[in-house]
Amino acid sequence: MLNKLATLAFISLFSCSSFIVTAEQTLPVLSGVGGDFSAMDTNGEAVEFNHYAGKVVVLAFGYTNCADICPFTLGYLKRLYGGLSANEQQKTRIIFVTIDPEYDTPGHLKSFIGHFNKDFVGLSGSQEQIDYIVSLYQAEYNRLSVLNIPTQNIRRVNPKLFADDEQAKEDNASLYSHTVTLYLIDKQGLTRSLEYTGTPVEQFIKKIQQLINE
Amino acid sequence: MNNLSMLKIVFIMLSVLMLASAGNSNADKQPNIETESFWIVLPPEVARHTAGYGIIKNTGEASDTLLKITSNAGAVMLHKTEIQSGKARMTHIPNIVIEAHSELVLKPMSFHLMFSDLSPVIFIDGSKATLFLEFEQSGIIKINILIRPNW
Repeated sequence: MLNKLATLAFISLFSCSSFIVTAEQTLPVLSGVGGDFSAMDTNGEAVEFNHYAGKVVVLAFGYTNCADICPFTLGYLKRLYGGLSANEQQKTRIIFVTIDPEYDTPGHLKSFIGHFNKDFVGLSGSQEQIDYIVSLYQAEYNRLSVLNIPTQNIRRVNPKLFADDEQAKEDNASLYSHTVTLYLIDKQGLTRSLEYTGTPVEQFIKKIQQLINE
Repeated sequence: MNNLSMLKIVFIMLSVLMLASAGNSNADKQPNIETESFWIVLPPEVARHTAGYGIIKNTGEASDTLLKITSNAGAVMLHKTEIQSGKARMTHIPNIVIEAHSELVLKPMSFHLMFSDLSPVIFIDGSKATLFLEFEQSGIIKINILIRPNW
């Protein structure tokens, strides 16, 4: 009798510990974060997020006039992507969604993103489309001038003489504050983890591999 | 002059000497600004801004204030990125005091140099830009900084 109880207890304990290990390793679905959306790719073609179904996606928000965070994030994503095998890279998409579609036209975005990796996907679109994507991912962005921060002081120390109105118009590009979260999305388009550039690359890679193998 | 008067005079002279010595000691306290590990991110060709990072150390005995930064690479300012509730926000730091025996660390998502009006001649992988850091006490410190990709 005692032997049976001990065996049952051992089996129960083993089952529980297996469950705990499995539960720890399975990334939860973050319901309410993400979903399907329409945007414009860097070739100027309309694209649905569902187009990336079957791929593990790492999605980030940013803009090309960003000096610190966005280039740093894309450099981090380059290291992350470079840590995947060629086969894993084929099953993964790194997507950078601009929050400044007026300035970040598809062609401009393509050149900017391509500096980091030609495989990276840049998404632009109308302001309405971008705002919808931002809301889907519970992200945020604000134009700094809206926050009453004098962007002319941030942007330059010396007045610049403009050769023509075209250049002057270009210089009015805005600066933004924005969400810096990296969204890890599975092959079904479900958000499974929120990461940051502070996440050790090796740790992030393991999560991507886990979703690839699901 | 009796002995007591002599003692008083000696005491006063010693006091004056001690005070003068203390005064000189304070005057001798100077900041000593050093820089290390500075670099600038090679931006994409189409980028209009980029960032620079490094460490400014004050190994001296007095504080100093960083007043102005200029460079041949473009217009440059000291900025600070702050992350609040997962959102990055950037602020301009017009000047900053670096206390004695302390350092200002410029790194991604924190204090950084923000370059704009980038010089296309300077921003080539492996080239160097010149940076002038103007301090209230230490004057202008010139450093040459490597431009390299951030990966």
